[in-house]
Amino acid sequence: MPTILVIAARDDWPTDRVVNVLTNRGVRVFRMDTADFPQQAILAGRIGTRRGWSGRLANSHRAVELSDIEAVYFRAPHQFRLTDGMSKAEQRFAAAQARAGFGGVISALDARWVNHPAAMTRAEYKPIQLATARECGLTIPPTLVTNDPDAVRAFAEDTPGPIICKPVASPVFIEGNELKTVYTRRLSPHDLVDLRGIDTTAHLFQAWIEKAYEVRLTIAGDRLLAAEVHARSARGHEDWRSDYGSLIYHRTDTPADVAEGVHRLMGRLDLRFAALDFVVSPSGAWTFLEANPCGQWDWIQGATGLPIAEAIADELQGVPT
Amino acid sequence: MTTFAHPREAFPLLPHSERTPQSNEGPSGSTTRPWILRFARVPDSTQAIEKPAAVYDEGSQMSVGLYDGPLPYMTTHSPTVPDGNMTNPPPLDEGPKD
Repeated sequence: MPTILVIAARDDWPTDRVVNVLTNRGVRVFRMDTADFPQQAILAGRIGTRRGWSGRLANSHRAVELSDIEAVYFRAPHQFRLTDGMSKAEQRFAAAQARAGFGGVISALDARWVNHPAAMTRAEYKPIQLATARECGLTIPPTLVTNDPDAVRAFAEDTPGPIICKPVASPVFIEGNELKTVYTRRLSPHDLVDLRGIDTTAHLFQAWIEKAYEVRLTIAGDRLLAAEVHARSARGHEDWRSDYGSLIYHRTDTPADVAEGVHRLMGRLDLRFAALDFVVSPSGAWTFLEANPCGQWDWIQGATGLPIAEAIADELQGVPT
Repeated sequence: MTTFAHPREAFPLLPHSERTPQSNEGPSGSTTRPWILRFARVPDSTQAIEKPAAVYDEGSQMSVGLYDGPLPYMTTHSPTVPDGNMTNPPPLDEGPKD
C-alpha cells in the first residue's frame, strides 16, 4: 500500500500539521523518529540484482514495506537511541553503523524527498547557498568569510555603506548554563576597532542592504509562498528574529525574475522545500540572504494563512502544481 | 555526484537529547573567544512562548494535549522564542547540526 514515510522528532508540531493534512486526505503515513532505531523500530532491508531495496520497517504500532514508500518527509530527527550498558566505544561504533545502515537504506529509497538528507546537508552551507544563488541569477550581498582581521578591515573599507556580521552556522549556544544567541549585527566603526578573536574561527561579514522590509519565501515543490516581514522596532529591523513581537506579516507575490532564479536555485541545491530570506529595498529590489533547508514555517502560515502544510503535503503526494 | 567524507554529514540528525549542548563554562579570554560572540546575548524572555503540555499519540502519530481542547499544533502558531530557559530551546532555523 502506498505510504509516505515521515522521519521527524515526535515533538515537532508543525510536522503534526502535515501528518494531519495527509491523514485527512486518506494517505497512509508511517511516522517515526530516528531515535526509535534500533530499540523501538526494526529495519530489515534487502537488495539484489533483480530488485531494489525492499523489506520491512516497523515499530510496535505499524509496519511499512520499503518498496511501498513513495515519499519521505525528513525533518530534523534525533540521533539513534542505543541500548543502555554499551561502552563509549561501543556506542560510537553502533551509532556509526546505524547511521550508515539505517540512514543508508532510507537514503537509497527511490522516493519523492522533502528533502533528501544529503541534499539538505550540502545546502546548509551558507557559502554554497550564496555561490549557487549568484549563479542562478539572484542578487546577493557582497560577502566575506575569513579568520583574518586585516581582511575584515579591507572589506569594511571597500564597502560603501555599513557592514554586518552574522554566524556562518547555528547562532545558538549555551554558556554558563545560559542560552545565548547571536543575531545579525550592523557594525559600527567602534565595533571594528578591536578584532581580537577573529582569528579563532571563520566569521561572515556582508554589506548591509538598505531595506523597506524582508520576505520569508517558503518553497514547497514548485510553489512559492511569500510573506512580507515588516519590523516595527530598530532591533527587529536589524534582525527580525530578535523581536518577533514587533513584526507584522503580509502575503505577497514573488517577482517573476526572482521566482525564476529561486526555481533554478532549488534545482541546483536539489531541494523540494526551503525557507528563503530576502531583503527588499525601498525601490523594491530583492536581495537573497540565505536559504534554510529545514526552516521554520508554521508561524508564517498562522500569520498569513499561506497554505504551507498543504503545499508540503501536495509535494509529498506528487500533486501537480 | 557529491562524495561525503563521513555518513554523519549525509544523514543529519539532531543531538541525542537536546538541541543545544549544555555547558556551565563561561567565556574564555578575548584572544581565544570567537570575535562574534562579543555580540551574543540572552534572547528576550518576554516574548517566549509557553508550549502546552502534550504527549505523543502513536495512534494518530501526532502530539495530543493532556487536557480537553484542540490538538497542540493547533494552539501554537507562534515561533518559539529563545528565552534563556534551557528547557525551552528554540527551533534551529538552520536545521539539524551535529
